[in-house]
Amino acid sequence: MENIDTKLREVAKRLLLEKKVDVIIGYEKGTLPMTATPCFVSTEAEADKLVFNDLCTQNLAKFVHDLITNHKNSQKRVKPEDRKKKIIGVVARGCTTRSLIIHLQERQYGRDEVYIIGVPCEGYVDRKNLAKSLQQAEILDGTIEGGQLKIKTAAGDKTVAFKDVIAPNCVVCRFNNPIISDIMIGSPAPAMNPDNEYSKINEFEKKSIEERWAYFTKEMEKCIRCNACRQACPSCYCPTCFVEQSQPQWVGIGEDKTDTQVFQCMRLYHMVGRCVDCGSCISVCPMGVDLRNYLKKIDKDCVELFGSRAGSSMEDMPPLGKYSEQDKEDFIFNP
Amino acid sequence: MEKRLIKKDALVGIAKKMAEELTVWAPVKKEDNVLFTPLTKDAEPFFAYLNSKNAPKQVFFPHTETLMKYTRTPKGMVFSAEENKAGKTVLFGVRPCDAHSFVLLDMLFDQEKYKDQYYITKRNNTTVITLACAEPPYATCFCTSVDGEPVSADGADIVLTDIGSEYLAEFITPKGEKLAKYFGETKADAVAETKKKEIAEKAKKAIKSKIPAHEVKPILDNNFEHPFWATIHGKCLACGTCTYMCPTCHCFDISDEAKASDGVRIRSWDSCMFPLFTKETSGHNPRISQKERWRQRVMHKFKYYVDNFNAIACVGCGRCVMSCPVNIDIRKIIEDISKL
Repeated sequence: MENIDTKLREVAKRLLLEKKVDVIIGYEKGTLPMTATPCFVSTEAEADKLVFNDLCTQNLAKFVHDLITNHKNSQKRVKPEDRKKKIIGVVARGCTTRSLIIHLQERQYGRDEVYIIGVPCEGYVDRKNLAKSLQQAEILDGTIEGGQLKIKTAAGDKTVAFKDVIAPNCVVCRFNNPIISDIMIGSPAPAMNPDNEYSKINEFEKKSIEERWAYFTKEMEKCIRCNACRQACPSCYCPTCFVEQSQPQWVGIGEDKTDTQVFQCMRLYHMVGRCVDCGSCISVCPMGVDLRNYLKKIDKDCVELFGSRAGSSMEDMPPLGKYSEQDKEDFIFNP
Repeated sequence: MEKRLIKKDALVGIAKKMAEELTVWAPVKKEDNVLFTPLTKDAEPFFAYLNSKNAPKQVFFPHTETLMKYTRTPKGMVFSAEENKAGKTVLFGVRPCDAHSFVLLDMLFDQEKYKDQYYITKRNNTTVITLACAEPPYATCFCTSVDGEPVSADGADIVLTDIGSEYLAEFITPKGEKLAKYFGETKADAVAETKKKEIAEKAKKAIKSKIPAHEVKPILDNNFEHPFWATIHGKCLACGTCTYMCPTCHCFDISDEAKASDGVRIRSWDSCMFPLFTKETSGHNPRISQKERWRQRVMHKFKYYVDNFNAIACVGCGRCVMSCPVNIDIRKIIEDISKL
């Protein structure tokens, strides 16, 4: 992947200097080898830590929503005429811009409150995939060059092809270049290959109800209710999640497996027309629950029934937010 | 102290043999994770592991636990307890850092002024067999900075150390000696002991990651209010991964789950990272943002626990470092605090 770090830092410094943004959300090098982690840059000096590479996983739109919400809450007790606007800059790849579009369509903030620094993306390294290909040996150091990951592990040196450890959601990504942006850095990335986007789902759909239920049960049993999936998701921004409501209480707090299933089911169904397949929930899950199987099924239904892909354009309203006479209604007669 | 030698390939057999008569928790490979799990016919113990994904604290302090049951009757409330079905339990193959965590948890759950019967019963019923780290499993291990060692008998009833050709089994406590019958009859000689000491020294030196855990105490004492606290939490997702993986985190919540006239009072893990943590009925929360919650996490481990029990509530296993989805590294935080 083209190294755009220098360009990114220059742009960040200029935006901060010209006061076009108050803070920039981007990525920096992590403390563990071969990792990148979200960071916040509000001074020119800090801008030198910004990076963008194949190790950047998190969808940063989540932080845009958090920062703007926190700022608005802090302004509530300020007289209207004294209220300050805060502009958030964000380093955004294709999926991040899709999440920003969802936020904008759902009227979470104004387009003028976010400054989008678009970056091209050719997919990111899936840590769990990588760990598997290294037989779980600890990564001690490594570099990515020319599509190859050269890694020093506790069990010796290994070379892994980027294409073998790329996240599955990235392989079939349709929108790896930003859909909306205020400035673009780097040249557009070549298209990915979405042809087999739903091949796994098609296979899964063919299974019997019993088999599908057995798989769902097995996956949900791994869940420890740490809420990492929900917290990482840009579309999960409810001020109070139903899980935390106590009057009435929708789900139990404990480890009962039906409570876990209800939590996950409810979260998944809240993703109808709102999941951009950024893979954040999957990458943060400490237990490796296969959430994507279900999110992708919901996505497929949305495409097939309503011709809608979440956050794919500012004009195309979300399927649950618009009415069309062509909307499928046969489920009413034939459930 | 009783000391024996066991063949390296005999370990799995020993664990399985025990599992025929006792409840045996051991590391088991489940897809990509190694988890502490009760051994059953389908669950093969996996001792060639680095460390388990989840901490074995759940054996004594489960994620969810029934404290009592109640039924509303015309004559009033009837209360009952849930019987402990586990019986005699063996925790087989825990790493020394995790065994150290039991000593730390004992300080809280089994102390002079407060005795937690739920924890104590399970703890008394359980024999801990430590599998020492002849080689530190991860570059992120920092047990030597928090009063631990890769080869240590802390918190263990039996310690197993890989001395190359065999395991040296040391029976530390009477509880451990009761299980000696499972470990064969080969007595260990002085050569094995010397070898073990060499391995222990080497392993200790191999721990490269160090944090100034003791040095930060006086700084924490005086800096409850400090601009530094606003610099940790920015990217924190407020998920519970770090605390749920942590061998020493022990905050819990108590709630009633009722159905018609029957109810259970359960205790379940809480996490200082959750927005609901310490939220009061009125809606007020003394720890109003992630900043205060992070301060609590650091203070609890490196100051409050030291104040209360004269021990740091961190064992240096590195689980939170490795599992944090956004790479918030406790080692760096402590390092940064030491420079304040």
